Amino acid sequence: MTWLQRLFTMTVKELKQLSRDPILLVVIAYFFTADIYIAASGIHMDLRQASLAVLDHDHSESSRELIHRFQPPWFELKGELSDTHQARRMLDAGEVLAVIDIPEHFQRDLERGRQVSVQMQVDASNSVLGTLVTTYATQIASRFSQEKAQELHGRLKLETLPAVLDRHRVWYNPNQNDTWFMSISELLTVITMLSLMLPAAAAVREKERGTIEQLVVSPLTPAQILLPKVLSMGLVVLAGTAVSLFLMIVPAFGVPIKGSIPLFFAVTALYVFATAGLGLFIATLSRTLGQVVMLVILVMMPILLLSGAWTPPEAMPEFLRRAMVLSPLSYFIEMAYGILLKGAGVKLLWDSILGLALLGSLLFGFGVWRFRRQFG
Amino acid sequence: METDATTVIRLRGFEKRYRRQVAVRGVDLEVRSGEIYGLIGPDGAGKSSLMKAVAGVLAHDGGRVEVFGITVDSEAAAERIKGRIGFMPQGLGLNLYPELSVEENIDFFARLREVPAAELARRKAKLLAMTRLAPFRDRPMKHLSGGMKQKLGLVCTLIHEPELVILDEPTTGVDPVSRRDFWAILAEMLRERGITTLVSTAYLDEADRFHRLSLLYEGTVLATGEPDQLRAHAGGDDTDLEQVFVSLLRDQGVAEEVTASVPSTTTPGNEAAIEARELTRDFGHFRAVDRVSFRVRRGEIFGLLGANGAGKTTVIKMLTGILPPTSGSGQVAGADMGHAGHRIKRRIGYMSQAFSLYRDLSVMENLRLFAGIYGVPRRQRKARLRQLIDTTGLAGNERRLAGDLPMGIRQRLALACALVHRPRVLFLDEPTSGVDPLGRRRFWNILLRMAREEGVAILITTHYMSEAEQCDLLALMHAGRIIADASPTELKARLERDAGKLLELDCDRPLVALETLEAAGYRGVSLFGRKLHLLSRRPERAREKIEILLRSKGVRLLALRPRPPTLEDVFIYRILEQEAAS
Repeated sequence: MTWLQRLFTMTVKELKQLSRDPILLVVIAYFFTADIYIAASGIHMDLRQASLAVLDHDHSESSRELIHRFQPPWFELKGELSDTHQARRMLDAGEVLAVIDIPEHFQRDLERGRQVSVQMQVDASNSVLGTLVTTYATQIASRFSQEKAQELHGRLKLETLPAVLDRHRVWYNPNQNDTWFMSISELLTVITMLSLMLPAAAAVREKERGTIEQLVVSPLTPAQILLPKVLSMGLVVLAGTAVSLFLMIVPAFGVPIKGSIPLFFAVTALYVFATAGLGLFIATLSRTLGQVVMLVILVMMPILLLSGAWTPPEAMPEFLRRAMVLSPLSYFIEMAYGILLKGAGVKLLWDSILGLALLGSLLFGFGVWRFRRQFG
Repeated sequence: METDATTVIRLRGFEKRYRRQVAVRGVDLEVRSGEIYGLIGPDGAGKSSLMKAVAGVLAHDGGRVEVFGITVDSEAAAERIKGRIGFMPQGLGLNLYPELSVEENIDFFARLREVPAAELARRKAKLLAMTRLAPFRDRPMKHLSGGMKQKLGLVCTLIHEPELVILDEPTTGVDPVSRRDFWAILAEMLRERGITTLVSTAYLDEADRFHRLSLLYEGTVLATGEPDQLRAHAGGDDTDLEQVFVSLLRDQGVAEEVTASVPSTTTPGNEAAIEARELTRDFGHFRAVDRVSFRVRRGEIFGLLGANGAGKTTVIKMLTGILPPTSGSGQVAGADMGHAGHRIKRRIGYMSQAFSLYRDLSVMENLRLFAGIYGVPRRQRKARLRQLIDTTGLAGNERRLAGDLPMGIRQRLALACALVHRPRVLFLDEPTSGVDPLGRRRFWNILLRMAREEGVAILITTHYMSEAEQCDLLALMHAGRIIADASPTELKARLERDAGKLLELDCDRPLVALETLEAAGYRGVSLFGRKLHLLSRRPERAREKIEILLRSKGVRLLALRPRPPTLEDVFIYRILEQEAAS
């Protein structure tokens, strides 16, 4: 009974201390609201307003038709250029993202049923944008040529042409609305960062101010000193997640919550516990808050990169894919998207839950062990 | 006197504010050429602000600062005086580079000040010899002891031969022997170059090292003058300056609590509350504590004295169960420290240096937190906290944040937190450092009451000799060992038995006299402002011999009288004895 009472006393203390730290409170509030809003509405995975210039050596009806298929909101026409040098210069200067070069006799050759090449120069220094521009342009060009072919053989019906029709069904996010993906992804990043940072900061603050000694000579066990930091900061992170989900992500971006909300919070709590264990380990390595921040950044990068959020596991080299089991976020991502967007339940997710629980106990145990070694 | 009367520093109505908080107000000060001028006061008295302003590294908000006759009121003016000043900021070795060796540190500061190479070699050799750092010139600064770091800091400050040196608390946390070296070097520099020194300290017992001094308290000057003048003010030759300080505060209307002589209401009994047997602790190859043994009985106050790094904190950490000993054993509050660590923790109170409180929690919240941690039953909690607030005099501050409290009150709060579960043994690690004399007296009154009335055994470490005097038993620690161990009176009596009487010598040219007496083989010769201390086995015959000796060097003896030795004298004697033996 006293064991629990001590835990409770210490947890209340942590919360009180946090409530008197206005800067930290502002930071937490910012990350759970404004940061997620900016990430969701500011970053897009589809093409928007890609600037485009044209070198039209044909000036025919067909060339104009092709050019005008590069439409807003995907493309933005910056005008026509006179020669290739100018095109090159504008690409070099980053004034346009792509240049279309239409050869002479474009229309004539099309009408004669010949193959015509249209050149597209793309600035791929941002590889994602470059790929998107190429993909969109290829689609536009192939549709254009299909229609031209149809015109040429006007008598034939579409069905009589040999063609594969791609009719896809989009599941879980039918409009492929990437604010859904981005807002949840950012929420997971914020949860990761704060559950690393907050307990570690609370622990290292005791070191910085010398209060840790006072606790170590008291009858508190290391677990009684560390667990309250995880409990209190975990509560804060869960509360922040709730605010973010119900006051920001759902109302502002219309993300539907398909699965069980209690299950989502349960796995979030599990995730916070696992990550906080790692945070406590960081706190045992650091002497100052500054060191905590540097180490959190150091640890967070691989956690994010190996989580599968940015690159699907299948696309990673073998050894990196194996390393993913060490990133707690890789489990949590699967569960979070699964519950929120797909409505998955425990039946589907039990292996991830188990994996995260194992990894979490390991990390937390390691943090306590380091602490015990450091302070007797 | 070997000084002329030109004024080096003149302050008029000096004022410094941090935001709305006034740190120093209306201070007038005059430091003459060739003088060692002291600023004495507790933490927060405004010493550092004042010194930084004089050094030209901190802007002030009111009044006038003149250094070498130049009014320091702009960046440009500050730049003009900086070349002629040496400034050593507060903190052991904080101005040095830990990874660089002794010599590299000196070279760096010399180059910074554009000292010519030949000149540098000459000065370096001399300063290294004087500080006895020469054998360590290749050692990285981080591996030096506290006293050596401080001496190196002084060398680096002096390498460009400034006309004025400003030293901010150079002796805090340094052992008495290094402290004495430090004063000797300053005296030497003064003799050779006529360097003027402005130096601050929190220890009132160092006042005799200064020619003149100002007592500072909460940003104002309480008194200025020569040490003897200040003593006379409080009425007596033998009054220590701490008494002066307290009576000055009383004049200012700061309430004073009379030192209560608390009659013992418990019988000391014979059972040991703390017993250390041959405690030893190694860190790698370094032996921090070497076979330390002692006993503290119920109701006794046991003082552990020693410099930073002497091993005091390591001893406490072993006894409180934070650190396992390498060998040796001990008992605390009736439990064995080897395998009953948890039981010990519930029976002891511990208060570590100065700030180990939650500054963002209020007084009451701190108390409740520790009551919760120590599992004080809920029903008794309220009454117990009420009682603690009364005994430690915290009433009226319950809702204030600990961080907003003045140092003295904060210390009493820390004590109250350590007492919340009625411990039978109390460990206090430098509980009063930086607190003003009044605050320290109040604190000690509580300790005396705890020991005498409730039979609590107290182990305390301190740098204040006046506090050491109040302990029932003292152990002097040096380099991990206890080198002397008895009651304060007994320690002093043993010194007189082993080394002779302490004599205070007054003459017209003290610096020459110092050299002469040392050369003649007198022991314990040390400079205190304009006076000298020395030890003599046959004091009755000393006067004649010394007078003749000094006259041969053209020094006139003005007075020679016996003085009761201080614990610092004891300490220095024992350390030197120890070092000579090893």
